[in-house]
Amino acid sequence: MPDDLLRVTDLKTWFRTEAGLARAVDGVDFTIREREVLGLVGESGSGKSVTALSILQLIPDPPGRIVDGQIFFGGEDLLEGYRRGSYERIRQIRGNQISMIFQEPMTSLNPVFPIGDQVAEAIMLHQRLSRPAALDRAAEMLDLVGIPAARQRLFDYPHQFSGGMRQRVMIAMALACQPALLIADEPTTALDVTIQAQILELMLAAKEKSGRAAILLITHDLAVVAETCQRVAVMYCGRIQEIGDTRTIFTAPGHPYTRGLLRSLPRRGQKVRRLPTIEGTVPSLFELPAGCSFSTRCPERLDQCSTLPPPLIETVPGHLVRCHLARPAASSTPDRASHRPPQPTQSATTPPCQGQL
Amino acid sequence: MTTYFLQRFLLMIPTFIGITFLCFTVTRFVPGGPVEQAVLRYQQLQALTGEGGAGDAGGSSATDGGPVISEETMQKLRAIYGFDKPFYLAYLSWLGRVVQLDLGTSDTFARPVWDVIRDSLPVSLWFGLTGFILSYTICIPLGVWKAVKHGSAFDTATSVLVFIAYSIPGWSAGILLLLLFGGGSFWSVFPLGGVSSAQIGPDSYLAGFLLEGARVEDIPDDERAKHPQLRPGQFINSRHPAFAAVPPAKRQRLTRGSSDDLSWFGQVLDRIWHMILPVFCYVLGMFASKTVLMKNSLMENLGQDYVRTAFAKGLSERTVIFKHALRNSLIPIATGLGHMLSLVLAGSYLIEKVFNIHGFGYLGYTALVARDYPVTLGILVIASSLKLLGNIFADMLYCAIDPRIRFS
Repeated sequence: MPDDLLRVTDLKTWFRTEAGLARAVDGVDFTIREREVLGLVGESGSGKSVTALSILQLIPDPPGRIVDGQIFFGGEDLLEGYRRGSYERIRQIRGNQISMIFQEPMTSLNPVFPIGDQVAEAIMLHQRLSRPAALDRAAEMLDLVGIPAARQRLFDYPHQFSGGMRQRVMIAMALACQPALLIADEPTTALDVTIQAQILELMLAAKEKSGRAAILLITHDLAVVAETCQRVAVMYCGRIQEIGDTRTIFTAPGHPYTRGLLRSLPRRGQKVRRLPTIEGTVPSLFELPAGCSFSTRCPERLDQCSTLPPPLIETVPGHLVRCHLARPAASSTPDRASHRPPQPTQSATTPPCQGQL
Repeated sequence: MTTYFLQRFLLMIPTFIGITFLCFTVTRFVPGGPVEQAVLRYQQLQALTGEGGAGDAGGSSATDGGPVISEETMQKLRAIYGFDKPFYLAYLSWLGRVVQLDLGTSDTFARPVWDVIRDSLPVSLWFGLTGFILSYTICIPLGVWKAVKHGSAFDTATSVLVFIAYSIPGWSAGILLLLLFGGGSFWSVFPLGGVSSAQIGPDSYLAGFLLEGARVEDIPDDERAKHPQLRPGQFINSRHPAFAAVPPAKRQRLTRGSSDDLSWFGQVLDRIWHMILPVFCYVLGMFASKTVLMKNSLMENLGQDYVRTAFAKGLSERTVIFKHALRNSLIPIATGLGHMLSLVLAGSYLIEKVFNIHGFGYLGYTALVARDYPVTLGILVIASSLKLLGNIFADMLYCAIDPRIRFS
């Protein structure tokens, strides 16, 4: 596909720990198109952040190691240098063509340098500007992300900013070199709810103004995904279980896990004593089931699920589901419905997917 | 912030009074003080002279408890040593004199305490600061390298060295080193102690650096008359004012002498030669804990989120470590500089004793043993003031290095 900006195929990032080998990311495939916002959702420990860090090769080694896969960016495999132990190429890309915003704005800035210098650092490095010129550009960027009196605040230290303001600084830093891809790893999780929406809007607006980057938005907030993303990938136990456009995922989820997630969301005008949950717990990364990793909790489990890993199946063009229940293209909907056993909670809450049937 | 430091300076006063009052009071009550020692010396002297004159006096004055000292004499003795007043009054009058920068007169040296201390301080500072600076120049690169290469063979091997260094006190390592490298029991490489050579023989390492000189007998008579302290059989070196008068034919290169007879370069070498073992002991005592502190501090900072941010910007590993992480991990190390002076002086007592270096620590040691209380208390005044000032200085350094820290 010509408009693919980033294509990740069969990415495997494993961690060697004292407890054993943790397959944090175990065969992830997805693509990001130019200028789109792709949401990557999943619960804690599902491998979202490790996937993101793997793209920029920021996995701490040891214990982590990208053991397999390709990451194509502009036709070039970013992992080619990594396999040789050379970081030269990825360093030219980091902060320049692909940049990243982290979850913790409070600790992601260096406490002993003024923020102006920290923003200007990447500009000086990648655009070969002088320090005064880079500081000018940094002030522009800080102004763009809505920091008042940006020019005076260049020389302030991170501790003189609030959490929301620091995340703005991080966004300014990430967008300073007009990257083609911005990876935002739970950029709003550590912030107040009132600030969260501001930051998200700001990120999207700033991206538009500063060169229209594509965004990989990692979150576990489905409401954020629904509002901001064109496409969504759902991760569970180090694999992408379902990927497709946001509308389809929310209206006709193909994977039992996605359905479980959506079912557990509170709904307006609906009175329930307790929100439905997905039964059971996430299996340990050290003892993943041989077959489908969701098979231990899946309410629609088949016999083959616990032994045979399900393939990714394209149920609708552009919509992939990793489930034995999924049926390719046209035949998918009735098939899935016939396999689904009646659920007491389902009939009570009317899951959104039934609206399509 | 100025107010804060002003408060800190003012708080020094009660702390200082607390420290000195406690120590002063102790000196008033421990047995074996200067008065008792004077009595003992007096009795020993009496016993000796009494025995000598026993034939004449027929043992009339000798009693079982030794010669009796009259109460009048005891009062005089107490007055001399300042033990005639209650301890709190004595303390107040002592403090009153200290405030006027008068530390009193040494009992053993019979000189003002200031002069005694002033003589000994430069030597200690010279040795201590050299050791201190050297230990920092070792511990920072070593700690950084250990952190970067954490878990490697280099890290493990140096950790063993650090543990050994940490577990051996500097002075006991000094004794071992002297046994091995000084004196000639095994290898006679280094001098046994002191600051410079008193005697340099023809087979000394430094013999080649001896100056030209001349025999006293070869100085023309009129010139020699100006220097009555010169004795026949002595040698003068080329620095002596009388040397110019010696005819060139009579001049010769000295074959033996002291460090005064060395050339300028030879004197430097002599000093260094004497410094190697003691400075090694200073460094041994100081570098181990700092190396571990440096390593742990850097390791901790390398795991911080901002380091990941720096990597995500595309900076090289070198820039990330040496600019971003190192700057943060130097904060705990640099504040140690605040205590530099007091550490240098306090850490020197036993090392100076072992290497016979007549410095501040050696003075403190001998003053304690001799119960020379004016000197002991004078040293206490200087050491505690330096310590208290060092605390404030360390806080100022914190402020200067870490922008997050603001005192109010």
